[in-house]
Amino acid sequence: MPVSHDLLDRCREAVSLARRLGADAVEAFGQTVEAVNSTVEKNDLQIAKSQFETALGIRAFVGCRVGFASTNDVAQLESACSSAVSLAKISPEDPHNVLPEPVGTPPIEGLYDPSAAAFTAADAVRRTADMLSLAESIDPRVILNDAWFDAGIRNVAIANSAGLAVEERGSLFTYGAVATAREGDRVSSFDFQFDATRSVAGIDVEPPIRRVCEHALASLGAEAGESFRGSVLLSPSAVSEILVGILLFQLNARNGLRGRSRWKDAVGDAVAMPKLTLVDDGRLAGGVATATFDREGVPHQKLELIRNGELVAFLHNTYTAHATGCGNTAHAVGSARSIPAIGPTNLSILPGNASVDELLSGMRQGLFVRRFSGNVDPISGDFSGAAKAAHLVKGGRLERAVSGTLIAGNAFDALKTLSGISEHRERVYNLTLPHVRLENVSVTAR
Amino acid sequence: MQKLLEGIASAAGGWVELRYQARRSKRLVVRNGQVEESSSVDLIGVGVRAFVDGAFGFASTTDLTRSGIERAVEIARSTASAAAEAKKHRIPPLAKAELARGVFPLATADPLSDHSLEEKLELVSRIDALVRSSSDSIVSSEVSYEEMLDEKAIVTTDGASAHVFDAKPTFRVLAIAGKNGDQTRALETVGVTGGWSELFASKTPEELVERAVKLAVDQLGAPYPTGGAAQVILDPDLVGVLSHEAIGHTVEADFVLGGAITAGKIGETVASELVTMCDSGASEYVPHAVGELPVDDEGVPTRRTVIIDAGVLRSYLHNRETAGHFEVAPTGNARAYTYGDEPLIRMTNTYIEPGETPVGELIAGVKDGYYLRGLGQSGQADSNAEFMFGVREARRVRDGKLAELVRGVTISGNAFAALCSIDAVGNDFRWEHGAGFCGKGQRAKVDDGGPHVRCTLTIGGQQDAC
Repeated sequence: MPVSHDLLDRCREAVSLARRLGADAVEAFGQTVEAVNSTVEKNDLQIAKSQFETALGIRAFVGCRVGFASTNDVAQLESACSSAVSLAKISPEDPHNVLPEPVGTPPIEGLYDPSAAAFTAADAVRRTADMLSLAESIDPRVILNDAWFDAGIRNVAIANSAGLAVEERGSLFTYGAVATAREGDRVSSFDFQFDATRSVAGIDVEPPIRRVCEHALASLGAEAGESFRGSVLLSPSAVSEILVGILLFQLNARNGLRGRSRWKDAVGDAVAMPKLTLVDDGRLAGGVATATFDREGVPHQKLELIRNGELVAFLHNTYTAHATGCGNTAHAVGSARSIPAIGPTNLSILPGNASVDELLSGMRQGLFVRRFSGNVDPISGDFSGAAKAAHLVKGGRLERAVSGTLIAGNAFDALKTLSGISEHRERVYNLTLPHVRLENVSVTAR
Repeated sequence: MQKLLEGIASAAGGWVELRYQARRSKRLVVRNGQVEESSSVDLIGVGVRAFVDGAFGFASTTDLTRSGIERAVEIARSTASAAAEAKKHRIPPLAKAELARGVFPLATADPLSDHSLEEKLELVSRIDALVRSSSDSIVSSEVSYEEMLDEKAIVTTDGASAHVFDAKPTFRVLAIAGKNGDQTRALETVGVTGGWSELFASKTPEELVERAVKLAVDQLGAPYPTGGAAQVILDPDLVGVLSHEAIGHTVEADFVLGGAITAGKIGETVASELVTMCDSGASEYVPHAVGELPVDDEGVPTRRTVIIDAGVLRSYLHNRETAGHFEVAPTGNARAYTYGDEPLIRMTNTYIEPGETPVGELIAGVKDGYYLRGLGQSGQADSNAEFMFGVREARRVRDGKLAELVRGVTISGNAFAALCSIDAVGNDFRWEHGAGFCGKGQRAKVDDGGPHVRCTLTIGGQQDAC
């Protein structure tokens, strides 16, 4: 994988071009992605890929009007600048369309492994072959429906007309698998596991493959469940699917401005049980989303969002910080193909003090849910959908695998009544999450 | 570009597919009177797929010079060789096909380029304001317009040389209502293959507002249903989602080879004899479906494929690789989202053929059940055809008449069991999924639809405390 060097110069050139074309202020975000990838389907290698792309995204400000244009053809930079300025001119004014000022910050070490530059598509193929062999050796009933190994080097550069000029290079290796188990006509629910590392030496495909095999096999032979209203223990994946989306929607300062977050005036209020503390940390060592600065070039920081159940802070980018008068928390996210939005970096729920077995032992009748597939309404908080790879819990123990079971409840109520958080946590891409036990959830067997 | 790709292909040796794609997208978003996005994104490059010793390799580049593309061919070849060494089962020779040659223009009477961005932004802003002024209960609005214009040149060393033009605009209206701490939302959309006037041919922007506002407001304070099996009427939107998401993916031949539930079931009865389900690259019955395309990304002309014929499973959906494996003709379902993506088996426009029963009679035949309209915020199905879909709008049906609205409804079950339970098929037809995307590693613009149908499904609701 080659490495490019002149990205920041291209961004500076775009700032000058757009200024010349009539912009009062400009931000240029450049990225190069150099990636190789190998994928498995149906227990065999499917295809290996190689990709190189440069893209620039230009935000042009004409007064307080803003327009955005992006191109992956560097020869068309002037045309993209012209489009951004034209779009700004037809847009109405918004006084909160402003750019961040430069703020110095020490770079985060360890984001880039130089040996990543020598990692080839053939290397990615070898890693996926290792994943296949391992799954086969664990249990021949397991089918890797999908598995992948991605290796990428991403260079990012940002320049703006306020004098900000930053750049960073990161390497990332991500790998994972989706697996089912099959025995005769019986097919299990699928499970998904994933891991990531920044360095070639840190690659270890074994843990996610062992987990995905174990979970797929565990849900083989599932039968109809039972209907009741009661305790549901969510795995970290199910926590991400049911609770995290709602939390992020409510904590997005833009949704507060839009009148969509019911927590917009709730700083200092209890929004969850005191057991729950939610933290975002863009500087987390080894984090998938770790970077020195955000999509607008503002330095990342560690931020408590909910502390012991109490709402402490929202996620902000430059726009919402200006509009609300709050501090910019450096949560602008996006790529060269999109305007900066708001999102988390490395988000985690801090560990509780119970083991997973202890959480189970407190359930007279309940359901353990490994994955959730359904509707979660971020506005009302209502969730309703299928419990996947689920197990019926009786007398504090996993009794049997169940299929075709629906769960329904309200996430806001669930946050205020949750009865347990595990000490053990797992990484779900950029999230680090424990098991969480909810109460008063509706469980319907088919 | 066509000539350049043909020249590179003729000198390449071996099997190589070259695909140039220039995508020019525009997006305008207005929320609560504020322009949140006015953006333009151009994405231009060449994707190269090579087939060496029974394995594929793929490389993409933004260097559009002859040497840049030839370098991508080299990388694709060497990557394919590496893949071939690790592959357990070599891919048999690709199926032969009558490959497309020539220019395939877009059919529209009103090109998007004839309408300025100012005009489009003015409409989006006006409709956003209309949402908020339509009811005192509306607390938030969002309206967006997107257009995606594609030019593709698809060239293969075994004869394809197609120059394809496409345009897919979409328009979305979101209304959020609030009262006494309760909030509800309703989204109404349109999306087509075509131009400006075709986008609003089925529903005007004002009609979208009326429906979204009414649904958001009516849902405030609406009760939740009790979970359990129920007789339901599915509208064309949910019929389309069921056809695409719960059945269609299980007949994509790559999933079939991966163990989908339809494996080995060609010729078996899998649905009520009232059900005939198809996938078509053309817009059957109603023009401008968003999955319309004349040629797939392997250069194979698209066609109408009968998946289920009067209840009997007849065909899977194929690319050239799986067609070779099953020794059938490719169905023109190989699609790539951008130049940087390799073609995968994807649906185009998936639907159930209309039947003979008027919709009023479908409803009149339900003593105690639900009328369900549209996909809610999410839906998912597994390769074993187990599905769960959120429902946008649900009404009770009592003694053959539409009754009160209920909220938070999901439907679930096994899609083939649902098809077997169909006891009546409406004589209407609509495409309904034009604004959405299908995800399978890559995105794809697909459409789905059909008539109303009556069947039995599990409603996800609330259980009483034990």
